[in-house]
Amino acid sequence: MRRLSAVSERAHRLGLHVGQKATDAMALAPDLVTAEAQPEADAAALAALADWCVRFSPAVAIDAPDGLFLDVTGVDHLWSGEAGLLADFRKRLAANGLPFRCAIADTPGAAWALAHYGEDGAIAPPGGQAELLKPLRPAALRFDPATWAQIERLGMRQVGQLMSIPRGPFARRFGRAAMIRLDQALGRETEALTFRRPPSPWFARLAFAEPISAPEDLARVAHDVTAQLCARLDAKGLGARRFEILFHRVDGQAAPVEVGLALPGRDAARIAKLFAPKLEAVDPGFGVEVATITAESVEPISGRQARLDAGREATVEEGLSPLIDRLVNRLGEDRVWRAQPVESHVPELAVGRARPLGKASDARPWERETPRPTRLFRRPEPLEAVMALTPDDPPTQFRWRGQIHRVRRAEGPERIGEEWWKGVIEDVDVSHVRDYYRVEDADGGRFWLFRAGLYGDAATPPKWWLHGVFG
Amino acid sequence: MSDFRGQIVPRERGLATVRAQIAALEAGGRADFGVLPFGAAEIDACLPGGGLPLGRWHEIGGAAMEVETAAAPAAFTALMAAPLARRGEVVWVLRRDDLWAPGLAGLGFPVERLIQVCARDEAEALSVMEDALATVGVSAVVGEVETADLTAGRRLQLACEKRRATGFLIRRRPYGGQARREATGSAAATRWRIASAPSEPPAGEFGLGAPRFRAELERCRGGRTGAWLLEAAQAYESSAYDLEMTDVAHPLRLVADLGDRQLAPAQSTQDLRRLAG
Repeated sequence: MRRLSAVSERAHRLGLHVGQKATDAMALAPDLVTAEAQPEADAAALAALADWCVRFSPAVAIDAPDGLFLDVTGVDHLWSGEAGLLADFRKRLAANGLPFRCAIADTPGAAWALAHYGEDGAIAPPGGQAELLKPLRPAALRFDPATWAQIERLGMRQVGQLMSIPRGPFARRFGRAAMIRLDQALGRETEALTFRRPPSPWFARLAFAEPISAPEDLARVAHDVTAQLCARLDAKGLGARRFEILFHRVDGQAAPVEVGLALPGRDAARIAKLFAPKLEAVDPGFGVEVATITAESVEPISGRQARLDAGREATVEEGLSPLIDRLVNRLGEDRVWRAQPVESHVPELAVGRARPLGKASDARPWERETPRPTRLFRRPEPLEAVMALTPDDPPTQFRWRGQIHRVRRAEGPERIGEEWWKGVIEDVDVSHVRDYYRVEDADGGRFWLFRAGLYGDAATPPKWWLHGVFG
Repeated sequence: MSDFRGQIVPRERGLATVRAQIAALEAGGRADFGVLPFGAAEIDACLPGGGLPLGRWHEIGGAAMEVETAAAPAAFTALMAAPLARRGEVVWVLRRDDLWAPGLAGLGFPVERLIQVCARDEAEALSVMEDALATVGVSAVVGEVETADLTAGRRLQLACEKRRATGFLIRRRPYGGQARREATGSAAATRWRIASAPSEPPAGEFGLGAPRFRAELERCRGGRTGAWLLEAAQAYESSAYDLEMTDVAHPLRLVADLGDRQLAPAQSTQDLRRLAG
C-alpha cells in the first residue's frame, strides 16, 4: 500500500496529511502530483544541512528523519542574544527556500516540542520551558506511538495534565520510557545527542574493480592513495601530522592503519614507507574493495628545500624528523623522547618527557652545581647492614646487591621533602622526608643514598635506600 | 737537529710511510673523518691521528658491578661525546630507561641535544643505532647493548661512514642475566674499560672531589693501548657550560698515566707533562 510520506503546504490546505493512503489522497485531490519518496536522498540532504549549520554552532546533531539539534550554548553572544541568533538563522534558512520551524529551549526535548507543536520561533526563557510546554499536545514529548495512543485514549490532551500526575503512578501507567521523555523535556534528566563530526576535507579514496588482498597490492594501494592526498596537500601548501588509511573489506569491515609524523609532512614516498611495516597486520579477509585515507592535524608548512647552503637548523630538522618518525612508528611514541626539566624537588619527578622535535619547555633547567647521578633507579633499592656513626651521619658501610661497600668520602645530607602544596593537605606528614647523601666507596664507586623517615618514631624506623649511581 | 740524529730521521720517515700505508690498507680506501684530541699528549700519542677517531665506533665496557649498571661507562661516554654534541644531536639508545638527564647535565653534557630511545631488545637497539648513525644532523650515537658480533660491528661501521657520525657502544648486561660469551673479534676502532676511581677533593675541603675514572684503552686500531686516570674537572660547575662556545678544552683531564711503565703518584701530572713535552 502506498502512503503519503510528505505533503506540500498547498496539499496540506486541501486536507491531505502524512500517512494517508495514496488512493484516498487521489480521491480528495484528483490533480495531485506525487513523487517516489527517497529516504536516502533525504538523509543525505539533512546531513548536508547539518554541515551547513556548523556556521551557527560547532555541535550539530541530526534528528532523523527531518530534524536538527544545534547546541547554541555559549555562541548566542555572537548574535547579541538568542533572538538575534534565531533571526539570522531563519533569514538564512529562508533564503535557501526551505520550509522550517524552530525553537530555542534549555533542553533538546523542550526545543523539539516547541518546534513541532508550539509557536514557531519560540524562545523559552532559561528554566521557563515548563510553562510553554503545558498547553501542547502530549505528542510533543516524543513518546513512542503506543504510549502516545494510550495517553490520548485516556483523554489527556495537554502536557500540563501529564505534568500534574504524581511520578509514581505516571511511571506505573505509562512506563519508564515515557517518564524519561517527560524528564528530558523538563531538564530533570540529561539527554545525549550524537553530534555530527564535520568530515575531514583531507580525504582521498581509491576503489578497485576487483577486491585485492595480496600484501604487495596493499602496499601499492597505500602508496597510491597517499600520493593522491599528498598532491592535494601540496597544492595548498599544507602538511599533516597524522594519516589514517582505512581498508574497506568486502564483508563491510574496515581495517584502520595509522601513522604519525613528528613534523607535519606531505612527502608521499616517505609516508607510504611508514605505512609499509604496519600493513602486515592488516587482515584483508575476502578482499579489500575500497581504500580511503584521511589526514588530521593539517597545518601549513613551507616547501622547504634541502639545499646545501640552507641554514644549519633547517638541515638538522630535515635529517632528524624522518628518523624520529621511523622510530616513533616502529617503537611507539613513549619510547622516543627528549628529557625536559620539570620544576620539582622530588628527583623522580624532575624529568619530563617531551616530543623530540617539540618546543623546549620554559621550566628552569636543572641545576648543574648540585651533583646528580647518571643512572636513577625507577624504584630505589633497599640497603642492608647500614652502619652510621650518629643518626645524622652518612653511612660508613652498607650492603647493596649482596656486596659490602665501605664509604670513604661522603657529602650530605640534602633534605628533600614532600611537595605538600600539591597533594591533599591531610596526607602531609613531616616524616615524609628523604635525606640524600652522595658517597664514594673505597674502590671509587659513587652512589646516591637516602634515608627515608626521621629517627625518634619507634614504630617506623628510618630505612636506607640507594636511588642512583654516579659512575 | 744534530748530525747523528740526521741518520735516524730517514728511518723514522720510512716507518711513518709504512704506518701510513698500513693505515690506508686498514681503512680500505675510506676517507679520514678527523679526530677528537683529548688534549693530553700521553693519550693522544696512543691514538691514531692524535685523538679519538671520528666516523668510527668505539666500544666501552665496565668492570665488576658496573657490568650491569654501566654508570661509569655512561658518564665517561657522555664526557667523551660532549664535544660532539656541540656539532649535532646525540641519540642515546637504551634497553632500560634509567639514564638520568640531570646527571648528564651536571657532567657538562648538553642535554638539550640528547634524544633518548628505549629499544625493546638487543637487535632492535643495534638497528636503531644504525639508523640514527646514518642520519644527517646526528653527530654521535650511544647504544647500550650486551655485545655486538662481527656482522653487527661491520654494519655499525658502514653506518658511521655514511654521515661521519661517531658511535659509542656501551656494553651492558641485562639485570640478572647470564654472562654471554663475549664476541671475539670486533670492528670497533677502540675498546675501553672504564671504572670509577676514588676522587681527590682539593686540600682543606670536605666531601667528594671531581669524578675520576680509571680508563683502560684495551684495544686500539692503528695505535697503542694504555691506561690512565682521568678527571671530569669541570663537572658540577655552571661556568663551563655554553653551547655556543666551540673551542673549549676536552671535559676530561689527565691526572696520571697508569700504563705498565709507571706508577706515578696522582700529584705528578706536571712532571709527566714535562717528560712528555
